[in-house]
Amino acid sequence: MSALLDRSPYGPRDEAAFLSELRSLTEHHLAGCPEYARIWNSWRPSDKVEEFPFLHVGAFKSVQFTTKAEGLKHQRVLKSSATSSGTSSQIMLDQRSAELQSRSSNAILTDFLGSELRPLLVLDSVGGLRSGAEVSARIAAALSLKPLSSDIIFLLKDASDPKSMKWEILLRALATGDSFLVYGFTYMLWTAWAADHMPSEVKAALRGKKIDFVHSGGWKKLEHLRVSREQFDASLTRDLDPASRVVDFYGLVEQVGVVYPLCRAGFRHVPVWADVLIRDPWTLASLPDSEGQLQLMNLLAWGAPYHNVLTEDLGKLVPGECDCGRKGKRFEFVGRVPKAEMRGCANV
Amino acid sequence: MSNQHAFRGTQGTVQVALPFDLASIISDWGKVRSAMLKEVPEAFSRDEWAYLVSFLEKQSLTRPFEQSFGPPEHSPAEISLIARPRGPVGLWLPNNVSLLGPLVLIVVSLTGNPIRMKAGSRSEDLTGVFVDFARKHSADGPLGVYLRDSVHHEVFSSDDLRNRDLARDSSVRIVFGSDEAASAIHALPHPLDSTGISFSDRRSESWLDQDSCNDDTLRNLIKVFAIYGQAGCTSPSRVVLLNSDRTNALALRDRLLALWPNVIRRRPPMNVASDNIRSWQLARAAGWDSVLVTENRAVLSVGDYTLPTFPSLMEMRLIPATPSEARSGLPKNIQTIGHALKDPLASLQNLDGTGVARFVPLATMHHFETVWDGQDFFAQLFTYTRVKR
Repeated sequence: MSALLDRSPYGPRDEAAFLSELRSLTEHHLAGCPEYARIWNSWRPSDKVEEFPFLHVGAFKSVQFTTKAEGLKHQRVLKSSATSSGTSSQIMLDQRSAELQSRSSNAILTDFLGSELRPLLVLDSVGGLRSGAEVSARIAAALSLKPLSSDIIFLLKDASDPKSMKWEILLRALATGDSFLVYGFTYMLWTAWAADHMPSEVKAALRGKKIDFVHSGGWKKLEHLRVSREQFDASLTRDLDPASRVVDFYGLVEQVGVVYPLCRAGFRHVPVWADVLIRDPWTLASLPDSEGQLQLMNLLAWGAPYHNVLTEDLGKLVPGECDCGRKGKRFEFVGRVPKAEMRGCANV
Repeated sequence: MSNQHAFRGTQGTVQVALPFDLASIISDWGKVRSAMLKEVPEAFSRDEWAYLVSFLEKQSLTRPFEQSFGPPEHSPAEISLIARPRGPVGLWLPNNVSLLGPLVLIVVSLTGNPIRMKAGSRSEDLTGVFVDFARKHSADGPLGVYLRDSVHHEVFSSDDLRNRDLARDSSVRIVFGSDEAASAIHALPHPLDSTGISFSDRRSESWLDQDSCNDDTLRNLIKVFAIYGQAGCTSPSRVVLLNSDRTNALALRDRLLALWPNVIRRRPPMNVASDNIRSWQLARAAGWDSVLVTENRAVLSVGDYTLPTFPSLMEMRLIPATPSEARSGLPKNIQTIGHALKDPLASLQNLDGTGVARFVPLATMHHFETVWDGQDFFAQLFTYTRVKR
């Protein structure tokens, strides 16, 4: 269990403590996950964080990595949403990690959203909760806000259809208070909530309410629609209480429990129980001040070696103190690794 | 100048009746080729363009006739067979296709058959770029007229209604793509006397033996593989090391590792470099002994037939095997074996009944010919009249 979780997420970093815990966690996975051990069979403990064995994010689409150890009870599989490749990542969730992940996301989100309990309105369908041993990334992200919610209300009849909003349910919920949390994938929030088809009585009921919108999932689809962040935020908060906020967080199912909300200064902060490296895509050298592939680490994942993941996202570490007041490491999320098509002789 | 061309085939003299003089068309392609030497369109890689340039050499353009009908006969005494262009050709190209569109267009142009080409809707369209280039540089000769009046190139998806029109109007349907895609296209309503040619999901291998593994062979192997990686049907998805063992295979892998950066000097696109890390990890997880080439240019893995594989862009898989293991390990959809063997004929005899469509020297694995996937598709672009006195 990570002692670092007892600290404030964005206080001063204790690199020695982080490395020590990372080493224990890495050795635990090397001992209990044969696939991980085969990949990194020549690894020797190091005092450099960049030398710790990682897994490429795409590997989770092909292999269901599982670490077996005494006391570990695997529960469910967390699946990423459909990607352009048509396959999703599968992350084995376990009870022990789930507790740590819940504490982590609670601490991070509380730091950004405060600890006030209020109804959580989720732009998803309740059906997502009922798929047995699997849980989708969207549902997992929404449920990470559960500790900050007094009630959870699902607003879509069909999780894939933004036009299936249950406006009457929303109206009923809005009548119960003045402060709410709303969670949705970025594209869904835009198409289902900010879109023109919101009924006038709902618009009227929203007027003056304090709403914190939390969204994740990326801007790719909105870029195609030429929607800017400013336009997005302004559309969501129009006519609301001026204290309402829009919080964009970056996270991966392969890093469940650690999310990276955008601070008001425009950066993403690394909690003390996590770390971020930027790698040169060709040499894998750690880049202190230039753009490269993001590698995300945390001390929460015990049931499978998703504690140290090389992503296909690009980012850049930003030195110095942040205007938002948070300490420690921070980075800019730049975008996805650009796709260049590998030509062959048939799409088979 | 004549539109009648005679060849001495196994069934006697074949007279090929073209709508133009073949020499003029070949000469016009020569002019296009000259222009190609001066300018490379941005959409093409230099390797792709260079291959097209070589494909347009004069002897390469006469070869399809000679392969299908025999050597030219300049003073035919008696005609046994008259070959006439069959009629409109419909060509379905898949996504991520490289040069097949331009290559098939060049071959079909030699027959005079009109061609309508459907390119994939999700890929970079090399065919359209090539057609535009050829039109621009073929002026008003017979090739220019053919390209202007008889060549249509469109980009649409597999569920577009134009697929139905294309099948209905084609005397020859040529389909590159998955087995499912080919079946679906041939199932569309089409003329009874039309013919369908499918080039579907095929895989290829390289077979090497220890005696042939000098540095030149290994350089050829790297060059051949690096063009398409695992994405090409003619690319070696496996490199089989005949009569070798794991120790030798690992030594060979390390030689390839050292040679690679000297043969492929450019570093890969970022997404390929990243995918190579993924492939390297998955291969190792599955039990392959895998290493990454400098700058993540490729993955080199040594293993055996029992180990699982995962989709990969640039993972070269090396497998030591006995001839018998190599034969039984062939995939059902084997297309090409590119060999570098001391005694290739001995291996060829080992392949009876395996369905191998091409058994060619390693360096020529990607060379496109009109005998492809076990069929002479050039001959199928004609109808035939038997002539007897």
